[in-house]
Amino acid sequence: MFSNTKCECGHQNHAGTVLCESCGKPLTEEWAGNPETPLEMRYDGVARRSQKANPDLLDRVWNFFSSVKVAVWLIVLTLIGASLGTIYPQENTFLNLQTYQEFHDYYKEHYGTAGVVYHALGLSRVYSSWWFIGLLVMIGTSLVICSLDRVLPLYRALSKQQIRKHMQFISRQQVTYSGPEPVNKEAWLDSFGKELKRKRYKVWRDGDALMAEKNRFSRWGPYINHIGLIIFLLAVLGRNVPAWNMDQYVSLDEGETEQIPGTNYFVKNEKFTVEYYTDAELPPTLKGTERPKLFETKATLYVCTESCDDPSKDPVLSPVKTHDIRVNHPLSYKGLKLYQYDYTPKPKLVSVSPMLVDKKTGEQYGPFTLSMRNPALTYRAGPYTLTLKDKFMDFGLDDQGRPMTKSREPNAPAFVFIIQGPDLPETGETYIYFPQQIDKVKFRQDVLNKAIADKLDIRVPSMSGVVLSENTSTLNVRVDRAMPFIWTGAAIFMIGVAMGLYWHHRRIWLRFDDGVLSLGAHTNKNNYGLRMEVAAAMTKAGLPVSDKSLDNRRKSP
Amino acid sequence: MKRYRKPIQYIVLFLVLLIGGYAVGHTLFASTAVLKTGDEPPAFKLLSLDGSVHDSAEYAGKPLIINFWGTFCPPCRDEMPALQNVYERWQDKGVQLVGINLSEDKLSVESFARQVGAHFPILLDRNRQTEKRFGLKQYPTTFFVYPNGKIEAILIGGPLTEEQIEAHIEKLVAGRS
Amino acid sequence: MSLLDFSQKALLAALLIYSASFIFFMIAVGGKKWSNREPAAHSRRWGWTGFGFAAAGWAAHVTFFVTRWVAGGHIPTSNMYEFMTMLAMAIMLAFIVIYLIYKNALLGAFTLPLTVIIIAYASVFPSEIQPLIPSLNSNWLRVHVTTAALGEAFFAVGFAAALVQLLRVIDYKRTDKAGKRARRWMEVFLLVILMVIGFLLSVFSFRAAGYQAEFHQVITKEDDLGQQQTTERQVVYGLPPIVKPYSSDTVEIDSFLGMKKPLFAAPPWLKGVNAERKLNTILWSIISGLILYGLLRLIARKQLGAVIHPHLSDIDPDDLDEISYRSIAIGYPIFTLGGLIFAMIWAQIAWSRFWGWDPKEVWALITWLFYTAYLHLRLSRGWHGAKSAWLAVIGFLVVLFTLIGVNLVIAGLHSYAGVS
Repeated sequence: MFSNTKCECGHQNHAGTVLCESCGKPLTEEWAGNPETPLEMRYDGVARRSQKANPDLLDRVWNFFSSVKVAVWLIVLTLIGASLGTIYPQENTFLNLQTYQEFHDYYKEHYGTAGVVYHALGLSRVYSSWWFIGLLVMIGTSLVICSLDRVLPLYRALSKQQIRKHMQFISRQQVTYSGPEPVNKEAWLDSFGKELKRKRYKVWRDGDALMAEKNRFSRWGPYINHIGLIIFLLAVLGRNVPAWNMDQYVSLDEGETEQIPGTNYFVKNEKFTVEYYTDAELPPTLKGTERPKLFETKATLYVCTESCDDPSKDPVLSPVKTHDIRVNHPLSYKGLKLYQYDYTPKPKLVSVSPMLVDKKTGEQYGPFTLSMRNPALTYRAGPYTLTLKDKFMDFGLDDQGRPMTKSREPNAPAFVFIIQGPDLPETGETYIYFPQQIDKVKFRQDVLNKAIADKLDIRVPSMSGVVLSENTSTLNVRVDRAMPFIWTGAAIFMIGVAMGLYWHHRRIWLRFDDGVLSLGAHTNKNNYGLRMEVAAAMTKAGLPVSDKSLDNRRKSP
Repeated sequence: MKRYRKPIQYIVLFLVLLIGGYAVGHTLFASTAVLKTGDEPPAFKLLSLDGSVHDSAEYAGKPLIINFWGTFCPPCRDEMPALQNVYERWQDKGVQLVGINLSEDKLSVESFARQVGAHFPILLDRNRQTEKRFGLKQYPTTFFVYPNGKIEAILIGGPLTEEQIEAHIEKLVAGRS
Repeated sequence: MSLLDFSQKALLAALLIYSASFIFFMIAVGGKKWSNREPAAHSRRWGWTGFGFAAAGWAAHVTFFVTRWVAGGHIPTSNMYEFMTMLAMAIMLAFIVIYLIYKNALLGAFTLPLTVIIIAYASVFPSEIQPLIPSLNSNWLRVHVTTAALGEAFFAVGFAAALVQLLRVIDYKRTDKAGKRARRWMEVFLLVILMVIGFLLSVFSFRAAGYQAEFHQVITKEDDLGQQQTTERQVVYGLPPIVKPYSSDTVEIDSFLGMKKPLFAAPPWLKGVNAERKLNTILWSIISGLILYGLLRLIARKQLGAVIHPHLSDIDPDDLDEISYRSIAIGYPIFTLGGLIFAMIWAQIAWSRFWGWDPKEVWALITWLFYTAYLHLRLSRGWHGAKSAWLAVIGFLVVLFTLIGVNLVIAGLHSYAGVS
């Protein structure tokens, strides 16, 4: 087979060439032997780069990835693998589960035996499994090698095309015409060429042979989209680089400021709002249901400028951005993005501003502000001094009857003061204060405080003295430095795919032999459009033909 | 053109092996968020009750016990005496024991430590940052760290007895050689 | 008449005009051999009539879409009803584009019933306008949904062309194994289509009759602490209950053909939102589809494919092959842009990650991979003609699963309201 790579036109072809690179004569026996069938025009019949006589191991690996058939298999396997992962929820959807055992138990509880098998097979984490990633890597490899292997030979073939093609090449195209030579050959050729030019063809002449071509660039579409995909896949891989990627959750009460872990940024939840649609806004079947309309965290982002790494001092913060974070409207600052993720509707006491009341005279002193978190240690109220001795966020008694806090949340806060002042001993009296009325009653504040309860009272005069956080807002903080590359890859892919699928490379060859006009035309897509175009040009040039009669497939039985 | 074919093939396949190997390797050896025996605990720099700043780097080369606790957790309270005793017994022998409080107010922590008689270094976490980095889910949690910085054991829940703690310290000390 | 009422009437008008258009296309295809006719002229005249009606129907359809948009204050693409009607509109747009290129009446005879079925299917879902929840209130989402639907619409037209092509090329005279197999698969596929029609017929007839059956379900489960937990709920069926919910009592049940109680109870392992009702609906679809198929077979006395096949004899299968391929090739970039890239942009803004392996995302990717494989296979020899037509048919089934199946079977972020 490799002995006859030299064509009768004198051109020396590469091994594996199907159609002579110069004149287009079919070279392989398969094609030369059946003079009736239309030709296979893939890659213009040139040999792929990797096709050679004695492949070694490297060549074999290369050839494997260079095959479109292998590429299709890879795509199909990826498709099947991906679909398996949708049977049950994937592990990464459960933020609160982490260990193998926890996942095992979850799948067992929710999906029974099938769930256990699913988990054991690793199908519950398909998309991060070695074999799935391996398939993607192989697809990436195939993209590179397939493209490299085809684009250069194709470029070579298309950039040095011979105008006069072999007779067999012309007569075995998908679109063909053969008929008697027009009366005035030269004039007809001129006007035919002009018609084609009007249809934006480039036209070349070589004696009485003609070649016309348009939209060659669309042939590069597939290679461009493959480049886009490679960039995309590399960018996806780049997201694994720790410095490029961050994914944190920050829960904030209203008014609370917290550091974003691992960064120099702090974020404050100024106010969280949740709104539901009113019944008037809802259609009949949804009336009475809680349909959320808005989740919004008014947030301020700070950057720490001083004593950021010194736990003995409070960090010095300077605000850099204020934004209303809503679903679909994240806060974005220098690659850092804060998304509204979730919220917990749980009212929490932030601070109270009570008055100290002399029960006998009714005189009020204050107010003084008592913060639930890190309160000041001493307070002045008129002639009295209050010293904070102890504080419980969630007051209760342990099993030995000792006061303790049941949690870190201010569910039932209690403050233990030493009060000094008129009518009180020098060392002061202990006074326990429950800011919430319900706790005051439940834990019997007056009984606990004994005698002093008859003298003094700490009391919040109105609701304006109470600061509450209605909701806790959870924000998702993200850094994803690979995103620009992801979008670049996607954009290049789109350009390539549109080039390849919305424009069609069309070529027309024509020659005269002994008073017979032979025409062949080829396109990689949309033969129908090519037939219409050729028929219209020929008819206008004065040789009426119908588009259907040009169809070579119909001619062959 | 032909001249470059082989080198190009080698370069492409080499890159594929490199990048693809990294991608697949990443899935196989990805570290999970949960700390486990043999890992190195995350670094921390926290204020202690006495006002000094403790940097975990200072503990390098010493057997280290880190106990996370809160005043809201009864088992934490119950194991305080044991920790205090162990601390007294081992502090001169180069064993470092610290308690990290779970982001409560200094006032509450001080008053609690006074009540239970805990005098070993107690560090104050802020905004649960250290706790999150250690991936805590239950309290108390105690980490035993070899002098070389690797975790020997993570004990979740309590209260721990002195014997339990001592047994682990023996291992830490033995692991020093 | 409120704007919304007008909008609903416009859709009804569109549905009727599409049906008329379908009949004209049928005449164009089936009437060619009527006496005293020149087949080409006949086909051309009736084809253009059908196309005129299709275009008029589409105008009414667009009127529906626009007025609903105005009435609701947001683009109507946010629940199953709105999405399906929009998909049908996109399919008609794709059809109009492809028809103008190829002027093939057969395409109309197969695309229009598809559109009608999709609109009918949409009508199974509640048609009220639902205000948007925050995550759906995004311009990128709107662009994503509409563009993806347009891409899928071209796949639908490609599917219709492929179906005709298959009916055309399957040889009803062959007696060997391969020929029998191809015919059998075609019958199975036609049966599936009849089941969809059966589903629509039963839902609409029982709805028109006001049928209802209600059950009270009590489920006792042991929780982690070993305590018995009891949940109770009411389950309402719109179709006579072949299966009742697991562990439930009948509250009330309308009689149907003397059937006064459910035939079976659903097995306890059946889980998911309203799984029993879905199972009941599926059983109804299967049974009514089989009855329809049986009736048609009785009337025709041969395979249904063999009934249609002769009408297609004078069409060139290569033309259909090209229409199918071309349609998919036009749809592929649009689908990539809408179904994947715009979706990623939206996901990045709404869910903080451009890709999260949510079932709907995965199935969009699977659809894309499938058509990618299709386009690559078209490059190889031996994958034109019937094989590639089967792929176009399967591809559209994948599209339908992505659009409907995922919502019905797998719950994810994309779960629409009002899925029955």
